[in-house]
Amino acid sequence: MQQLLVRVGRQLVLVPIVALASYFLMASLPLTTEDDSKRQVSPELAASYRRDLGIGEPLGFLRPWQKLFRGERLGTSAQGVTGDELLLKLSGSVGVGMVALGLALVWALSFALFRSRWRRGRLAVLGDALPAVAFGTPVFIPALLLAPTVVERGYLLPELTSALVTSVWPGIFLGTLLADALETELARDYVRTAASKGLAPGVVLRRHVLPNVLPALLDAIGPMATSLLAGSFAAERVLGLPYFGQLYVLAVLQKQVAVVVVATTVFASVLVFVGLVVEAVRLLVDPRAREARA
Amino acid sequence: MSRIPARAWVGLLLLGGLGALSLLMGRLFPEVLASSCPLGSDLTRPDRTVCELAFGGLWISLAIGLAAGGLSTGLGLGVAAVARLAGGALERWVMRLADSFFALPDVLVVMVLQLAGQSLVDAGGGAGLGPFGLMVVSLALVGWAGPARMFRNRLSTLEGQEFVAASRALGGSRFHVLRVHLWPALLPFVLAVFLSRLPAAILAESTVSFFGIARMEPMSLGRYLGTSYAALIYEGGPRIVIPAWTLLVLLVLGASLSSQALGTGVRKG
Repeated sequence: MQQLLVRVGRQLVLVPIVALASYFLMASLPLTTEDDSKRQVSPELAASYRRDLGIGEPLGFLRPWQKLFRGERLGTSAQGVTGDELLLKLSGSVGVGMVALGLALVWALSFALFRSRWRRGRLAVLGDALPAVAFGTPVFIPALLLAPTVVERGYLLPELTSALVTSVWPGIFLGTLLADALETELARDYVRTAASKGLAPGVVLRRHVLPNVLPALLDAIGPMATSLLAGSFAAERVLGLPYFGQLYVLAVLQKQVAVVVVATTVFASVLVFVGLVVEAVRLLVDPRAREARA
Repeated sequence: MSRIPARAWVGLLLLGGLGALSLLMGRLFPEVLASSCPLGSDLTRPDRTVCELAFGGLWISLAIGLAAGGLSTGLGLGVAAVARLAGGALERWVMRLADSFFALPDVLVVMVLQLAGQSLVDAGGGAGLGPFGLMVVSLALVGWAGPARMFRNRLSTLEGQEFVAASRALGGSRFHVLRVHLWPALLPFVLAVFLSRLPAAILAESTVSFFGIARMEPMSLGRYLGTSYAALIYEGGPRIVIPAWTLLVLLVLGASLSSQALGTGVRKG
């Protein structure tokens, strides 16, 4: 139990660390207002940055969060965001991410089955080439190719397209892991023993092999959640979806420093939450994890 | 050192070929592409053909990938070596720090670092770093944690081998063991890790540049696609997207093939 609490504590401590690191990075930005600089910001804007971040005030690093919880707008009035708007945008991105996760699992299963079926045939080379093509394709490229067709149609089509293009690489990545883990487990003695005792292949797979494959898949969920959310940034930008990714990119482009601090911390919190859920699921499905805790 | 697998050669040849092609077509003889490109000119840069922009972008993307991959591998190696040499609590804390870095999404942190770096450069600081240097440093600062973790684990495994124990028993210092015994055994793995960082750096740079956050000039593949964004939407753009996409895929394919083959070969060897 104590070990579990230590692990949870280690995950949770990441959130204030990210909050402080992003705050102090933003607070230390040199904002040039001198004439000799090529890219200066106006003195009013520089003052607004300082106000937003509470620079020079006692406990100034809490200023963005105070504003957020009071329902005030973060950033300059025209382009800022309130806490409610932030949550709404985050829910949009998470929704797209959840659909992408479902699609990624479909890709993963299809790819794993394809790879195990064609392992020794003439199509075996596709098992290596497909991951390279998927990995070598940044999310924005398929989004760019599909954008002209879907952007103007609406009716959730841009959201579905965003989920589709975001899911490809994580799906193939997960499929590769799944195929490798399946191959390793299927070659083990206990599978032969179970089959020789007359169990049907499906039953062997479901009852004996899959419980041993699940921990490998759970290990991949963390990086996959990161790539799903980060991938949705690019898709949202290209497909014009007004969600969290779009908000983040615009905040960086427009130097909305307080929004960047809060959004970065919120993003880290989502990842920490995913990490904690994965830990909990691992405890539920993997007896070895429970034994390790004990 | 074990024999280099054939797949690694294929990957390295593909990378080398793309590098040579981008140097010849993108840098040395761009006029050949200007006069013979079947894909026509770019809508946002009518003075340049799509082929010129794609091969020019490939050269920049490759250079960023090599520099950032090399720097992050070097940083990771340094951190892992220091952690192993120090041992104890310092090693645990350094590795925990690496884990927390590892958990952060590359693209997001690179965007924030670009914002900070550009403000620094605009204010006359930045130690003379241009957009290229700024991108390389940002990618290296984000990318050191993965290599550090891998090198530390590899060093830990190698240190358990008999020849290392024998060297220690004969009075070899930790630094001597690291330099004479561990480093030669680690070298192929270093190359594999460097090659695995290459596509990650290229893709992260492409995405950040596509958003218009980096001010890369001449343009990388990502920035080229980002600047053509509006034209692509209105024109329906496969003509503009596909050459850059193909080059990116080939680049990543070459790096992945050689990295995986070297990594597997080394584990078997």
